[in-house]
Amino acid sequence: MRDLRRLLSLLGAGWGWALAGVLLSAGVILANVALLALSGWFIAAMALAGHGGPMIEYFTPAAAIRGLAVLRSVGRYGERLVTHDATFRQLSALRVWFYERLEPLAPARLQGQRSGDLLSRMRADIDSLETFYLRVLVPSLAALLCVPLLVVFLARFSFAAAAVMLAGLLLAGLALPLLTQRLGRAPGTALAAARGDQAAALSALLRGYDELLLDGALPRQTRMCLEAGSTALAAQRRGARIAAAGQEGAGLVANLTLWAVLLVLLAAGPALSGPDFAMLGLFVLAGFEAVAALPAAYQALGEGLAAARRIFEIVDLPPALAEPARPALAPARFDLRLSQLRMGYGDGPAVLRDLSLSVPEGACLGITGASGAGKTSLFNVLLRFWDYQSGRVEIGGQELRRLDGETVRGLCTVVAQRTHLFNTSIRENLLIARADATETQLHDALRDAALLDEVLAMPRGLETLVGEAGQRLSGGQARRLSMARAFLKDAPILLLDEPTEGLDAQSETAVLGAMARLIKGRTCLLISHRPQALRLATQRLAL
Amino acid sequence: MATHSAPLPRDQAKALNGWLRARAKNLRRPLAGAVGLGALGGLLLVGQCWLLARIVDAVMFHVEHLAGLWPLLGGLLGVFVLRALAGFGTDALAFEAAAQAKTSLRASLHEKLAALGPRFIAGQRSGELAALFSTGLDKLDPYYAAYLPQTALAAFLPVAILAVVLPTDWVSFLIMLLSAPLIPIFMIVIGKGTASLNQLQWRKLAQLSAHLFDVIEGLTTLKLFNVSRVQARIVGRMAEEYRHAVMEVLRVAFLSALVLEFLATISIAMVAVYIGFRLYYGEMAFLPGFFVLLLAPEFYRPLRNMGTQYHAKMDAVAAAEQIVAFLETPIPVAQTGTMALPTPRLGEVRLEGVGFAYEPAHPTLEGINLSLARGEMLALVGPSGGGKTTLARLLLGLEAPSQGRIMVDGQDLREIDPASWRPRVAWMPQRPTLFPVSIAENIRLARPEASDEEVRAAARAAHADGFIATLSQRYETRLDEAGQGLSGGQLRRIALARAILKNADLLVLDEPDASLDEESADNIRAAIAALRQEKAVLIIAHRLESVRAADRIAVIEQGRVVEYGPPAALLAQGSAYRAALAAYEGAA
Repeated sequence: MRDLRRLLSLLGAGWGWALAGVLLSAGVILANVALLALSGWFIAAMALAGHGGPMIEYFTPAAAIRGLAVLRSVGRYGERLVTHDATFRQLSALRVWFYERLEPLAPARLQGQRSGDLLSRMRADIDSLETFYLRVLVPSLAALLCVPLLVVFLARFSFAAAAVMLAGLLLAGLALPLLTQRLGRAPGTALAAARGDQAAALSALLRGYDELLLDGALPRQTRMCLEAGSTALAAQRRGARIAAAGQEGAGLVANLTLWAVLLVLLAAGPALSGPDFAMLGLFVLAGFEAVAALPAAYQALGEGLAAARRIFEIVDLPPALAEPARPALAPARFDLRLSQLRMGYGDGPAVLRDLSLSVPEGACLGITGASGAGKTSLFNVLLRFWDYQSGRVEIGGQELRRLDGETVRGLCTVVAQRTHLFNTSIRENLLIARADATETQLHDALRDAALLDEVLAMPRGLETLVGEAGQRLSGGQARRLSMARAFLKDAPILLLDEPTEGLDAQSETAVLGAMARLIKGRTCLLISHRPQALRLATQRLAL
Repeated sequence: MATHSAPLPRDQAKALNGWLRARAKNLRRPLAGAVGLGALGGLLLVGQCWLLARIVDAVMFHVEHLAGLWPLLGGLLGVFVLRALAGFGTDALAFEAAAQAKTSLRASLHEKLAALGPRFIAGQRSGELAALFSTGLDKLDPYYAAYLPQTALAAFLPVAILAVVLPTDWVSFLIMLLSAPLIPIFMIVIGKGTASLNQLQWRKLAQLSAHLFDVIEGLTTLKLFNVSRVQARIVGRMAEEYRHAVMEVLRVAFLSALVLEFLATISIAMVAVYIGFRLYYGEMAFLPGFFVLLLAPEFYRPLRNMGTQYHAKMDAVAAAEQIVAFLETPIPVAQTGTMALPTPRLGEVRLEGVGFAYEPAHPTLEGINLSLARGEMLALVGPSGGGKTTLARLLLGLEAPSQGRIMVDGQDLREIDPASWRPRVAWMPQRPTLFPVSIAENIRLARPEASDEEVRAAARAAHADGFIATLSQRYETRLDEAGQGLSGGQLRRIALARAILKNADLLVLDEPDASLDEESADNIRAAIAALRQEKAVLIIAHRLESVRAADRIAVIEQGRVVEYGPPAALLAQGSAYRAALAAYEGAA
């Protein structure tokens, strides 16, 4: 319930539009009911008049029928536009909210969640929250508005009939879908389990393809995959049967309600004969449109709440470290001194134990060590992404903890083996480092990074799109692009994390040349295993 | 949301639709059943309208009371129940149609996968491929379970209703007959206009929608440049742009729905008003008039649903694209060998000038000459990326050399039937795959018929028996996907036991003693040395102790054999091998 309230408060953006959407939706349903009921009444009244019954004024109802027909169609169009517009307004607000909550958590709290798996889960969750209004709120609120109106209208003719109608609506709109959902839970669980088995079997088949082939076991593993597929299909079948029964059941309830209402009206005697009888019959049938969308809404409600819970769990994480209440000013010198530094993640063992080092301003310390020795953790500490347990870290004599995280990061530039390139142009990717850079500055940075000629040779030059995660650039180009960012940022401290690893010899040479220029005059920590890169260091340290 | 999958170019969509339809040929039975039951439901609906009209007519014009109406009311009740049953049956059979389609397609996909061979698999993202085989197929559901039967019904039901209306009231018949074709015509006209607009907008939409997660993925980078907080504004702006762009598409896209609804609704209203006036002037009786009024919405309903069906179809067509692309992947030049092995037991394998290139411009291996006979152990050493693993794959027959040849007892491996070569080789790759079944089944991979005693013997030889005995379920312990709970070294020993149990003539072991402690590594090395008594053993290694026992060592760098000879000779020469050994020991 708390999750629901919190979710609703998040969706508050543009509530005027949201409300208008709900009203339009209810209006369309009512217009349709009115159209059919009035048509029934009109035909019956006209027939009675034609058979010598009372004469009627027929212009008004005939015009009303046409008017309702137009209202219904145009109203439906308006409803769709308004509800979608409201949805996208909420989407903007939701995305900004989510981003603002996520930003302080990066990267420390999201490290474990980095795996594409969780990111795509997050993506699906945000998607399902974005459609919450459209799929859950609109149909349920519209039903909530329409049902009382329909029942009250019917009660004006017969209380008993209204009671029957209300019972029918509750049965078709509430009891039956909830029952269907409950029955569907077991096949749903079975399906999830079968899918898990299927995924495991498929993944084993694909990962172990060569071994299976050599060992003559490929047919056997294939059979396992197919069997898992059949098991999943059987669970799907059970689920589909239950869903179909629920759907047909709802239709049957609507028909039975009509039948019972007719019976009630007939039993009441001749008071209700005449055009009203025809009208009410059609009224009851059409009225069930008000609850038709509810089963899907309940389904989406469950999914939406689960998604909301997962999202709230992430954004409610506390940040990994506290910023100083009264941050000190940025230092004027840029030598680095670490003494007795001890650092570990959470409750885990210490990754850095009693590390002491000092780098004079403008010097370059080359750091080597086996993987897992804590080289990257050292950078996490220096960039104020993670806190340390004990010891001291000083930049220009200033204790790191007393500096604001943004101040520290303003002093440092990082060139890492993996730098994220955004799926936009080369220019935009550069401007991240310095938003107000001039064209000349961009060119200079690219030239210093030995990338200018290549970029200018591209048909669209600086406007070239780099693709998702920079995949349209070669590894060496991506590395040099991040180097160009570093030139642009022009910070006094340089942190290089395996800057030439994984490059072919030619790219490595180009990157090394750029690196030599970049290092000049800056305090530098260089993590690398490549002897050519380490040659740039003035001091060495093995972790 | 109403934003469905990205629209495909017209002729491609058409081709895919044809492909999907061709698959339906095998589904005649469930599809015919679904359509038949759906048609029955439609006829029952006509009956229901008739009974309802009769009841209202009797009440209004014949002043019937409840007592006289029981037969009609009873009939109505029966029709309601039958209709619900027919509806359920339609859904169930439609599901079966989709189920059969998926089952046969899944088999075709697996067949194709088996035919494509190792080279293809290596270039694939296994996650994507796995998704294609499971949930990818489910995306075809709407086509077979909804689109195909519903379009058939959309053709049948309106005609059936028209046939009933014609003798009842020919003017209503004309209104329906003339208005009905307008619906699909308008849909096509508007659809054509939106299709190009849609396609234009789609790329922009996808880009905008991906932006948030691009930014989240790059949060660390943004933080490093102190621009992460500014991005919140950009996220908001992008979402607003997204809204404007989407709404522009939707305003037009919803128009087709509007026209559909409008035509249908206004036609019903016209029928109602027209019937009303004919009744007023006494030109027709109430019963047929009311009957036609009840039928009119049912006449337009399937036509109105065509929009939904159209989207179901387009989504399925988009999903089919990947499936068809996979099924039409050209099969790499197959190993065409048909010869049996020349000897019952392997004597000698000889590589003669073997070269290999994944891309012609960048050869992975060049001019390799090596030989390995039964009772021998050959070691490949050298920096990673030098081509050692590729060489092993050539020997195993997983790849064919692009130059030179591999001679097996005087017969070119290319000409040997893979089915007769594969049982002769056992392979323990650098990262062995363990399957989510029991340890025993994992060891039995190549020989499912092996006895428990044989399995245990192989495990003992691989020094795996000891730790397996400490597990609570012993050999029946299930290894979940990653083999959780066991160390890397333990998993490797299970894989080694698998290779040993296969009892092949040629053993290819890629770093068999990696990630093992010294004692276990020594044990494994001794076990391997024992194996070579009756087999030919090829070892790939980084740890140089592993290869001291080898008869010959080949140092491979950048795709070439730079040194080749017995360990002692190599050590004496001041060679690359020696340099590597020195570097290794210096670093240790």
